[in-house]
Amino acid sequence: MEKISGAQALMKSLLREGVDTIFGYPGGAIMPVYDALYDYKDSIRHVLVRHEQGAAHAAEGYSRLSGKPGVCMVTSGPGATNLVTGIADAMCDSIPIVCITGQVAETALGTDAFQEAPIIGIVTPVTKWCYQITNAAEIPHIVAKAFHIASSGRKGPVLIDITKNAQFELCEYDDSVHTVTLKSRHDPYYQKKLEKAASLLNGAKRPYVLFGHGISAAKAENELVQFVEKGGFPAASTLLGLSSMPKSNPLNMGMLGMHGNYGPNKLTNKADVILAIGMRFDDRVTGKISAYAPQAKIIHVDIDYAELEKVIPADIAIHADAKEFLARITPLVKHKDHGDWIGKFRAFDREEKKVVVDAELYPKSGEISMAEVIRILSEKTKGKSVIVADVGQHQMVSARYYGFENPDSFITSGGLGTMGFALPASIGAKLAGPKREVIAIIGDGSFQMTLQELGTIMQEKLSIKIIILNNRHLGMVRQWQEMFFEERYSFVHMENPNFNKIADGYSISNELVQERKDLAPALDRMLKAKGSYLLDIMVKKDENVFPMIPSGASVDEIRLK
Amino acid sequence: MIFASLMKYVLTIKSENAPGTLYRIAGLLLRKKINIESLHVKEVDRKKHISHFTIEIFLSTHLMAKLIKQIDRVVEVTHAEYHRAQ
Repeated sequence: MEKISGAQALMKSLLREGVDTIFGYPGGAIMPVYDALYDYKDSIRHVLVRHEQGAAHAAEGYSRLSGKPGVCMVTSGPGATNLVTGIADAMCDSIPIVCITGQVAETALGTDAFQEAPIIGIVTPVTKWCYQITNAAEIPHIVAKAFHIASSGRKGPVLIDITKNAQFELCEYDDSVHTVTLKSRHDPYYQKKLEKAASLLNGAKRPYVLFGHGISAAKAENELVQFVEKGGFPAASTLLGLSSMPKSNPLNMGMLGMHGNYGPNKLTNKADVILAIGMRFDDRVTGKISAYAPQAKIIHVDIDYAELEKVIPADIAIHADAKEFLARITPLVKHKDHGDWIGKFRAFDREEKKVVVDAELYPKSGEISMAEVIRILSEKTKGKSVIVADVGQHQMVSARYYGFENPDSFITSGGLGTMGFALPASIGAKLAGPKREVIAIIGDGSFQMTLQELGTIMQEKLSIKIIILNNRHLGMVRQWQEMFFEERYSFVHMENPNFNKIADGYSISNELVQERKDLAPALDRMLKAKGSYLLDIMVKKDENVFPMIPSGASVDEIRLK
Repeated sequence: MIFASLMKYVLTIKSENAPGTLYRIAGLLLRKKINIESLHVKEVDRKKHISHFTIEIFLSTHLMAKLIKQIDRVVEVTHAEYHRAQ
């Protein structure tokens, strides 16, 4: 058998996994792999990021749009430690990414060698799995195992650390299929539970479906719509579930949680049967747990056995993939008219519209509001763009007011709430979906956490639209200080640079928007532009996001002002 | 008073005999600030590379069922169960 280097074996193994894009940054301990990559330029597109955190977020964005694991590759020591935030983000949001890190030679391990960091020790708690390769012969099998673990069951990040000697060493590359089998759990009562769940739903007077990221992770968007339409069930989404059901569907009642819609939160505590699917009852969704839906029978369906009964006790806990579960339960569900119950959602909707929404979406005077930017953008793009939102007020406003019509259209950092996520994630999203319009919506604070990735956008000649909703503040923290800390505004004001000059420096077309009359024409120019385009939009500085469930309050204590 | 609700449990875990498995399990305990009272690890099947862990901890009853699922979720773990210490 022909002998090749560990680095070449890694390339062949990545190609066998269907890898076409790598986000990375070279350095000493990964140089043999970069040398091998030089010969694979035609089959693997390497995207040189400007900071390793950007590589991890770009891999996440790539994964969210392609459905495949995103791949990032960096050197040892600081290269590896800079990945950690992105890995923790992927862990929280169950995003499959495969991280490859270089490591000092096996003989130097544990000697405090130059650029040595114990990355396996550092990332173990924030990875689904990680492994250190010290021998080239391990590479084909470990790469196959890493991709399988990342993308099976509840998806998540994995990391492979490869010592430099293993990259240089020759090994016999075994091209046979590396089968990886993981333990599986069989529930002998699955069919019984399924029938019981269907009968609970069929007998319910006020049934309610809550769905999350598990729908898009399982590609179960069609099955979800068929299911809720067959049963006539009102449904509401978590932040990460948002684009899994068209916003225009009359059974889509909106978003759950701290800044979700009024009715979906209030009526959680009125439903008699709740089916929660592909969601994990995050504290931002439940509010005060002891006051969360005490009256309802709860059916919880999740692909992760450990999520069942973790937060909310379930009357029926079903360990299943969302797609498979929905396909099996839909035929058992009977159509019923829940008009009165749905009418309650509509009534709360009207109240929310009157007190909050209308004033935000259609302000007649004063500074531009974040909400009107998103409304106009949504109208102009007909809800069909991919929105990549960062973390903060602009994220909640994007979630609330963009009219998502297509699956996989909302990419944001949910569980970890990572500021600086959107710009690099939009790079990954654009590479995974070059034909889709990718629009990053970022606050001025978040933008400055990873704005160096404008360099990556320039070098890769990507067409990404960037909207900065600039309120010169860390808006969400400012809102909390206003509401819960007696207006003691502690370090939330930001003196910002001229973002247009920064964009100029990267040869990215840009505009500054300060007046309402300039907003719509500027958005038109941005959407018509061929390449990347940055809009710095000055918005009202003391805008608050409502409705809001105050921290520690119950879902039905949600406030409109 | 909080100690009054704590029970002593014995966790018995079977896993692949691989470096890092103990660290990953210990990490799940550390996350909840659970101290390990006693620990025993031994390879029980040399051919299949299976290790057997016995870990004693103090924990409240309602957290035990959640913790054991999180341990069971670890890729290398093939079986995890718990019982009340005598």
